[in-house]
Amino acid sequence: MQTLLSLSNDLASAVERAARAVVTVHARPRLPSTGVLWRPGIVVTAEHTVRVDEEIRVALSDGPAAPATLVGRDPGTDLAVLRIGESDRLAAEIGDSAELKVGNLVLAVGYGPRASWGVVSAVGGAWRTWRGGEVDRLLRVDLVLYPGFSGGPLVDASGKVAGLVTSGLSRQLELAVPTSTVTRVVEELLATGRVSRGYLGVGLQSVALPEALRRLAPGAGTRGLIVVSIEADGPAARAGLMLGDVLVALEGTPLHDPGDVPAAIAGRRVGTTVTVSLVRGGAPLDLTVTLGERPSRRR
Amino acid sequence: MDVGARPHPLTSDLADVVGRLRENTVEMRSRGRASGSGIIWRADGLIATSAHVVADAEPVRPGAQVVLADGRRLPATLVAWDRKLDLALLRVEARDLPAALIGDSDRLRAGELVLAVGHPFGLIGAVVTGVVHAAPALGRHAGPRWVQADLRLAPGNSGGPMADAGGRVVGVNAMIVGRLALAVPSRVVEAFAMRCAPR
Repeated sequence: MQTLLSLSNDLASAVERAARAVVTVHARPRLPSTGVLWRPGIVVTAEHTVRVDEEIRVALSDGPAAPATLVGRDPGTDLAVLRIGESDRLAAEIGDSAELKVGNLVLAVGYGPRASWGVVSAVGGAWRTWRGGEVDRLLRVDLVLYPGFSGGPLVDASGKVAGLVTSGLSRQLELAVPTSTVTRVVEELLATGRVSRGYLGVGLQSVALPEALRRLAPGAGTRGLIVVSIEADGPAARAGLMLGDVLVALEGTPLHDPGDVPAAIAGRRVGTTVTVSLVRGGAPLDLTVTLGERPSRRR
Repeated sequence: MDVGARPHPLTSDLADVVGRLRENTVEMRSRGRASGSGIIWRADGLIATSAHVVADAEPVRPGAQVVLADGRRLPATLVAWDRKLDLALLRVEARDLPAALIGDSDRLRAGELVLAVGHPFGLIGAVVTGVVHAAPALGRHAGPRWVQADLRLAPGNSGGPMADAGGRVVGVNAMIVGRLALAVPSRVVEAFAMRCAPR
């Protein structure tokens, strides 16, 4: 009996420990969402639950709701960072998501506290969300995300935060954003108020590269990307790219699919330069492009 | 390491608790059909279940029967029922029944393990495991406060036990809301039993 009872106690204690740094976020009509006190005075929550920019209120686990300010949002990773007035409250104990293995017991904690349990059902490498953000690791969990749980912590059996759960990154799967990604986004939002992603400013379509062209352009794969639209005065236009150019490589990496381009430049900061290898009029050409910032389309 | 030679102590603990809880759980039948589950609340034949398991428009469906885990079928008479609490008490003529251990629903903590035994879809003594979703004080619903659990119940679980990791009954499974299991807290059941069937 002792093993089962002590597991049960451990799980309840894990929820209790995590709950001290779990907050209620009032930033949308009706249903509040959950947030984690990531650092003293700094709350992270799910971006899709923050429907307003002002008059946001946050309640600590044992206090009334108090005004909070929006530091910034990163829709790409579905993370938003808020600043609260009270800064002497201990923040969550942040663990390392990389230590999670398939089959590990985990809990999701919502404001209240409310709990949901399950196991890590899949882990994987870095991936790009449908909203365009770069996430360090795929972390899929088998547990129920109850209404209002988005933005809450994924907690391991010792009560350490192992990620941030959200229903905003997949319709079908229960996913968690790993702690390393959350910390990176928090730092960037605190420093600049936004997460900027490198941007070329071209529309591309995949085309097969004839054998003859491939021989001309060393480093090219079986396919290339033809420029079908170009943003006026965008980074690519300024570097001299033209409609009809066929991009074959970026910094030496062959390009097969339009998705390869954001994947290759997402980690690079705005203002850095990349070398684009292309074929124009049957002749190879290398151009240097200074990455710009994606124009904001939101709100 | 000698993998697979011995089950993890967790597994045998769970089997022990479930085994005992199944003996405490009965199948409720009326008009020859299964209508849900019940709990042997006292060894002298007092059975607790949900009001909606034994009654609908009328206070009690005729021909109520209780099927014990050992297969005995006993006719049951209604002692009390309360539609608001969704509780009913019945009595069967028997002694020394394997009564459930009664736990304290007020001491539940979010995240602690809970299990339920019942007879969903005609499966006798089916068990499910989960955790306490929120302690009873957090219930948002009017009326009785519920034990809320992250536990996958099915309709036949109604009236059956929700128990803690020690096998102590902390609630009578009452309904499923969204994907949450709600149970009438054992405190409420015990108070109801003391009121309607004093020892």
